[in-house]
Amino acid sequence: MIDVSHLYKSFGDLAVLEDISETIEKGEKVVVIGPSGSGKSTFLRCLNLLETPTSGTITFDGEDITHCSGKELDRLRRRMGMVFQHFNLFPHLSIRKNITLAPVKLGLMSREEANETAERLLKRVGLPDKADSYPNMLSGGQKQRIAIARSLAMNPEVMLFDEPTSALDPEMVGEVLDLMKQLAEEGMTMVVVTHEMGFAREVASRVLFMADGKILEQNPPDEFFNAPNNPRLKDFLSKVI
Amino acid sequence: MDAIKQFFANFGRKFVINFVEQNRWRYLADGLLNTLIITLGAVILGFLLGFIVAVVRSTHDKTGRMKVGNFFAQIYLTVIRGTPMMVQLLIIYYVIFGAVNINKVFCAVLAFGINSGAYVAEIIRSGIMSIDNGQMEAGRSLGLNYRRTMLSIILPQAFKTVLPALANEFIVLLKETSVAGYIAIQDLTKGGDIIRSQTFEAYMPLLAVAAIYLVMVIGLTKLVRLLERRLAKNDRR
Repeated sequence: MIDVSHLYKSFGDLAVLEDISETIEKGEKVVVIGPSGSGKSTFLRCLNLLETPTSGTITFDGEDITHCSGKELDRLRRRMGMVFQHFNLFPHLSIRKNITLAPVKLGLMSREEANETAERLLKRVGLPDKADSYPNMLSGGQKQRIAIARSLAMNPEVMLFDEPTSALDPEMVGEVLDLMKQLAEEGMTMVVVTHEMGFAREVASRVLFMADGKILEQNPPDEFFNAPNNPRLKDFLSKVI
Repeated sequence: MDAIKQFFANFGRKFVINFVEQNRWRYLADGLLNTLIITLGAVILGFLLGFIVAVVRSTHDKTGRMKVGNFFAQIYLTVIRGTPMMVQLLIIYYVIFGAVNINKVFCAVLAFGINSGAYVAEIIRSGIMSIDNGQMEAGRSLGLNYRRTMLSIILPQAFKTVLPALANEFIVLLKETSVAGYIAIQDLTKGGDIIRSQTFEAYMPLLAVAAIYLVMVIGLTKLVRLLERRLAKNDRR
């Protein structure tokens, strides 16, 4: 579904990603872990071109998104949901408007349809009574669940999660992870950058370990966590588990 | 003490001489009307100009596009902010429109609007740049294009942030129109001055002029506070 080939990304002189090639199949749940500064967030952000790769190609469903027009890119981005570490809800809009803004402005749904979708999604993320609240009235966990609902309103085919629980108080991490697990069970294709090893173990179909801009090891979670090969990964796991 | 007593004893008589006799209050009323027309026109023009320049400049800062637009915007800002308002007014009236017979009030609206636009541009740009980049990324990741994200997500938030600074700019503008008299427009200040030249009284007409400006500014401030409160409804916690 997503094909990455020979992806390079550098900021000035700093090489962040070096020759990454990877394929993500439909229905896969890929979890990316690694020390901070390893390039895992940049890798994720390249997938929907929030970062422009220095070189290499990324194809989504057969279409080359690294060399397409801006219009084409906007169209492709609708099909890839993204959830951010800092939620990035729109603080000037009510929760309902946060969810319905994109589908309505892009002409995908009428306002009534979008409102119904919002009601349905709010029920699904367990916050049915928050439609008329504003983002800064919510807790971090609630904000992140709304952010997920906002992405889902576009009916994406793949969801990208950029450290979705890193900015949360510990007691709120569970509610967001539970929602993500539920999504995974429903068959959503997911790419998740996270530090939650428990989540990786339980949900991932494949875990990638990144360091120094390269993917050093990847395996299904059982092998990945129980029989790591790469010395860097062994070292990393010994520190975090 | 005597001077103060004298002042109050004469107050009524002087009021009559300066404002009632020969309907002299009309100078102030006509002047006020011109001041309001110039200010309102200049606020609208300044806001439109400033808005466009701000969007061009911040688009350039954020994305690197619009190089030509940014170049001209820079020249505009440098020239307008680098020369006195009054000189600009005189140049527009006597140089640019020197050869044609043109409505002076229109000239003033143009001059004050172009001047204000430069300051409004930088105010709005500072608002746009103050919005976290995550907002743009969130909009773009939902498939909204740059323009749509700007209009629906960035600008409404930026506007709220800069409202106090914008209000301040328009208050300054209202008072700055008092130099319109230099191209022989009879604005509020000039109206007071005409009365002074007829009655040879300085403090009555000039204090009246000052009081009228003050009342207008207080009214404008109240209006802005009302708007701010309306826009702050999503800040409740």
